Amino acid sequence: METVDLARLQFALTAGAHFLFVALTLGLATLVAVLQTRATLTRSPIHLRMTRFWGQLYIINYAMGIVTGLVMEFQFGMSWSGLTHFAGNVFGAALAIETLVAFFIESTFLGLWIFGWDRLNRWAHLALIWVVTLTAYASAFWILIANGFLQNPVGHEVVNGVLQLNDFGALTANPASLVAFGHVLSGAMVVGGFFMAGVSAYHLRRRTREQEFFRKSLRIGLALALPATLVAGAFGGLGFATMQPTKAAAWSGSAQELAQAQADMVARFGPGDYLPPVELVRTAGVVMMLLFVVMLVFSAVSFLLMLFRPAVRGLRIWHWLLTAMIPVPFVTMLAGWVFREVGRQPWVVYGLLTTQDAMSHVTPLEMRVSLIAFCAVFGLLIVVNYWLLARHARRGPDAVALGSRPAETPAPALTF
Amino acid sequence: MEIFILGFFALGYLILAGADIGVGMLLPYLGRTAAERRTVIAAIAPFFLGNEVWLVAAAGVLAGLFPLLEGELLSGNYLAVVALLVGWVIRDMGLWLRGRMPGARWQTFWDGAVVGGSWTLALAWGVIFTQILPVPIVAAVMVALLFAMHGLAFAGLRLTGELRERAVRLTGGSGEGRTYALTAAALTALGVLAGADLDLAASAADATTLSLLVPVTLALIPFLVAAQAWVWWTFRARVTGPSYL
Repeated sequence: METVDLARLQFALTAGAHFLFVALTLGLATLVAVLQTRATLTRSPIHLRMTRFWGQLYIINYAMGIVTGLVMEFQFGMSWSGLTHFAGNVFGAALAIETLVAFFIESTFLGLWIFGWDRLNRWAHLALIWVVTLTAYASAFWILIANGFLQNPVGHEVVNGVLQLNDFGALTANPASLVAFGHVLSGAMVVGGFFMAGVSAYHLRRRTREQEFFRKSLRIGLALALPATLVAGAFGGLGFATMQPTKAAAWSGSAQELAQAQADMVARFGPGDYLPPVELVRTAGVVMMLLFVVMLVFSAVSFLLMLFRPAVRGLRIWHWLLTAMIPVPFVTMLAGWVFREVGRQPWVVYGLLTTQDAMSHVTPLEMRVSLIAFCAVFGLLIVVNYWLLARHARRGPDAVALGSRPAETPAPALTF
Repeated sequence: MEIFILGFFALGYLILAGADIGVGMLLPYLGRTAAERRTVIAAIAPFFLGNEVWLVAAAGVLAGLFPLLEGELLSGNYLAVVALLVGWVIRDMGLWLRGRMPGARWQTFWDGAVVGGSWTLALAWGVIFTQILPVPIVAAVMVALLFAMHGLAFAGLRLTGELRERAVRLTGGSGEGRTYALTAAALTALGVLAGADLDLAASAADATTLSLLVPVTLALIPFLVAAQAWVWWTFRARVTGPSYL
């Protein structure tokens, strides 16, 4: 493979891994914030236990989201300095705002939320999880402003061969960003809803001790999953209206439309191959659509079933299916992302900069070393992290360490 | 002003995260038993997430305010940056995972990840500094030792009893506050010297981008510092026992 293909593979693997973890983070953060609000308002012990149990799963998942995100952020400068050189004035601005407005506060307050349990006023502690959740949304928003700019560059002009920002309003009102934000955020809620329902169904099927705990959790998960699936579908539909002509042609698969899109691009940019890998884009799009239908039907039927107490208590085949469905929203997310990002090729900034031209001067050896190092480390960590997530999910709320007082609680001594 | 912003976040990272990296490097020295190591980790636990985010912010500032330099610096020091990231990831996952399972072998394994990752991270910083500053590459070890010294001072400020004494013994007496100030000053000097050797003024973003981002960032800084100060204030007491990690 050429170095540019390896660089793309490296970015795709880290971004794909990151996407898996942040999708669940966004969904679970919302659910935990809602649970903690209920627990704080009513002082209900079961909701406090639910906050701690789902909160711990959220944190285990969050850690992988951070470390994959770090590697992504640095890769722009490492592998794609052509992109930062050409589009940094616009694209970099969105990334900078993301780190300062969103991630900085999210991380700082998440640490305070985890370690400040029982040390802070309970209203302050509740406010923290809401700030963490809202800054996570803000993070997704600014990242999709950056991504939407790559899909549909707006608010810029080309001066001396580089982009300059000339309309910040247009950049933030980019339909390619806003529609994607709605789609990704509601998709993340689908992931979170199915996850909560699937884990709960496991405990109901195995008839573990925590029946009431998981009946409530199951209902909350399903109550989120159905509306979120509908909203994600609606935004997804809108997304087709903002799609680039070459991606639309790849999706249609029609030889005539593909030839037309290619001819239009040649007329604008001169000779070259301007079509994305058609088979991959189409397959990813079809997988996304099919799984969307599966999730829609399944979440609608489940929504009805959860209204019947005997089903929630004992319909074990349904419980088994709910648990088996946990990976489906993840796969759908990844398929949608491949559809969107591979569909943009061969451009990194559509119509302005090709992926080939965005590549840094990195030697083939350097690229191989980093690809192997990141794959080995992330491959191992992802397996360990998912295993740990499954283990903690299976063990139930009694084994939760989050928010429990540490074994020894000596009197604190002041530093100053 | 954009240089001030970059310096603010970069130096904030070196001083704050430098301390928890140093503690990670010296974890086997500071904590001899599993229980002691867990207490040493508790000394940095509430801070490390909020500390490392200063570097994420510095990288964001670099991308927004100095896009040319971002590409040059990161692609020009490609393998050192790869080592930095790998060390950082391994160390963080060690911290996050060590307490999530009972069992001595599990915890020893992830403590090893914390130590190895912290050394890799510190040495990678050392290498990056030697590439920017006109010094031989062996000076990278000096930079790593500076991180370790800074970590010892921080451990001295955060721990009590035997653990605190172990930390202050190596820094020459009981003045851990003074040692911390000295190592923080040395890290600041290192950052300022490296910044002076980079062509910051020539690699800044376009004026329109700066006129948007600089005021926004300056307005945000008080809120970001206040959020961090809330963490420092909440966990100002010395630790004597384990935490969530």
